[in-house]
Amino acid sequence: MAEAIPTPGSSAALRWQLRQTVELTARTLEMTFPRQGRSAAARRALATQMHSVGNRSMPFMVVTMAFIGAIISFQTALQSQEILPDLSQVGATFTKLLVRDLAASVGALPLATRVGAGIAAEIGSMVVTEQVDALRMNNADPVETLVVPRFVACVVMGTVVLVIGGFVAFGAGVVVGQLAFGIEARTFASTALLNGGDVALGLAKCATYGGAIALVSSERGLSAFGGSEGVGRATTEAVVGSCFAIIVLNVLLSTAGYFLLPAL
Amino acid sequence: MAIRFVDVHKRFGTKEVLAGVTLRIEDGECFFIVGASGVGKSVLIKHLVGLLRPDAGDVFLGDQEVSRLSEDALRPVRKRCAMVFQSSTLFDSMTCAENVALPLRKHRRMAMPDALAEARRRLEAVRMERFADALPAALGDGLRKRVAIARALTLEPEVVLFDEPTTSLDPVSARRTDQLIATLCAQEGVTAVVVSHDLTSIFGIADRVAMLYKGGVRFLGTPEEFRASDDPVVRQFVRGEAEGPMEV
Repeated sequence: MAEAIPTPGSSAALRWQLRQTVELTARTLEMTFPRQGRSAAARRALATQMHSVGNRSMPFMVVTMAFIGAIISFQTALQSQEILPDLSQVGATFTKLLVRDLAASVGALPLATRVGAGIAAEIGSMVVTEQVDALRMNNADPVETLVVPRFVACVVMGTVVLVIGGFVAFGAGVVVGQLAFGIEARTFASTALLNGGDVALGLAKCATYGGAIALVSSERGLSAFGGSEGVGRATTEAVVGSCFAIIVLNVLLSTAGYFLLPAL
Repeated sequence: MAIRFVDVHKRFGTKEVLAGVTLRIEDGECFFIVGASGVGKSVLIKHLVGLLRPDAGDVFLGDQEVSRLSEDALRPVRKRCAMVFQSSTLFDSMTCAENVALPLRKHRRMAMPDALAEARRRLEAVRMERFADALPAALGDGLRKRVAIARALTLEPEVVLFDEPTTSLDPVSARRTDQLIATLCAQEGVTAVVVSHDLTSIFGIADRVAMLYKGGVRFLGTPEEFRASDDPVVRQFVRGEAEGPMEV
C-alpha cells in the first residue's frame, strides 16, 4: 500500500517533507556526475540555469550585499568604540567575519528569496500543468532534467555570486568605516587574522547553501499541487525552507569549522 | 490489453477522491470515464501509468500489477501505454518535431536525426507536418493538442489514455479527434481510455461508459444504457440540468 500524502502543515507533513528532501538530495547527487557525460540538451539546460542563478541574480545581490556590508561595518565599529580604546582591529575583524561566515550566511538569505522562489515557482508550474508528468511518460527523469541543472548552477554560480557579494560588502564596509569612524582602509585589507581555513570554510558554506537552496526549492516545486494556489504555497515554503536550511547548516558547518578549521 | 482497477483508494490531504473504484476495461475497447469536475477521473487514469500511486487497491495492465512498480520498472509500461494530457504539455523550448521526437530519443535511444525524421512522419498522420519546425507557443490549443496526440502515438502504444481530448477544441477539430480515437481502436486494436465531458464524443464513439460519482463508480454500461438510465444522478448529467440530486 502506498503512503498517503499527509495534511499540509501537520507534523507528519514536515517529517514527510524532510524525508522527500533527503531522498531528492541522494538522487540528485547520484545524477550530478553522469557516467556517460552530459548530452547537448543537458549542457544547454545547465548554461541556462547558470545564467539565471548567476547573471540575473547579480544586480540584486550586489546592491543587497553593499547595504549589508555597510551595516555590519557601521555596527561593528559603533559597538567596538564603546569597549575598545582604538578601532585599529575593527577592519581586520570585519574582514575575517565576512570571509569566515557573514558573506556566505547573510548573503545566502537574499539569494534564497530570489533563486529559491524562482525554482519552486518554475517547477511547481510545470507540475500543476502536468509537464512533469509528461516528462515521466516520455522516460525523461524530472530529477535529471529539472533538478540536476538547477543544483549544479546553484552550487557553482551561488558560490560565485556570494564571493562577489562578499567583495562588494567588503568595499562598502571599508567606505563606511573610513567615512563614519576614520578607520584606515589598509586595516580592512590586513590578512593578519585570516588563514586558509577561514577561506575554505567560507567557500564551503557558499557551495553548501547554494546546493541547499536548489534542493529545498526543487522538492517544494515537485510537491506542488492544486493549481496556482498550490504553486504560491510551494514558493512560500521554498523560501522559508531554504532560509531555515541555511541557518541550520550554518550551525553545523560553523561547529565543524570550529573544530576542524579553527580561527587564529 | 485489458485494464483492471481493483478497489482503488486515493486521498489528497483530507479529501478522499477515490473511495474504492473497481473497473475492468477490455482489450481494444473505446472506454469513456465521465463525471463532474474534480470527481477523480484524471486521478484514476494516472494510476495506470504510475503517475499516481493508490493509497490502497490494485491496478492491472494485462496481468501485470503496476501500482507498486518502481520508476525504472514503469518504463516498459509507459512505452506500451501513452497518455494525452488535458493541457497538451508540449515543451515550449522545443519545436513541434522535437516534442514528437522526445519519446523516440528517450524510450528507444534513437539518434536525433532519425527521431526527427520519424517525428515528421508522425506529424503528417495528424496533418501537422507544416508546423514541424514551429514552437508550440505559436500554435492554438487545437493544433497543440494534435501535436500532443502525435507525440503520444509515436511509440505505437497498445493503450492510449486521453484526458479530455476535445476540451477547448472547436467542434470540427473535436470530431476529427473523435475519428482519430475511433480509428485507433477499430483498425489498430488500441485500447483507448478517454476522460471526457463531451456528450457528443461519448455517444459518437464510446463502446462503454463509466460514470464516477462520490469516489465510486455510479454507472457502467453502453452509451445507449447511459442515455436511458433512470438513475436521477446519471439522468441529470446526461441532460446537463442545473437542478437535480447531483452534488458537484
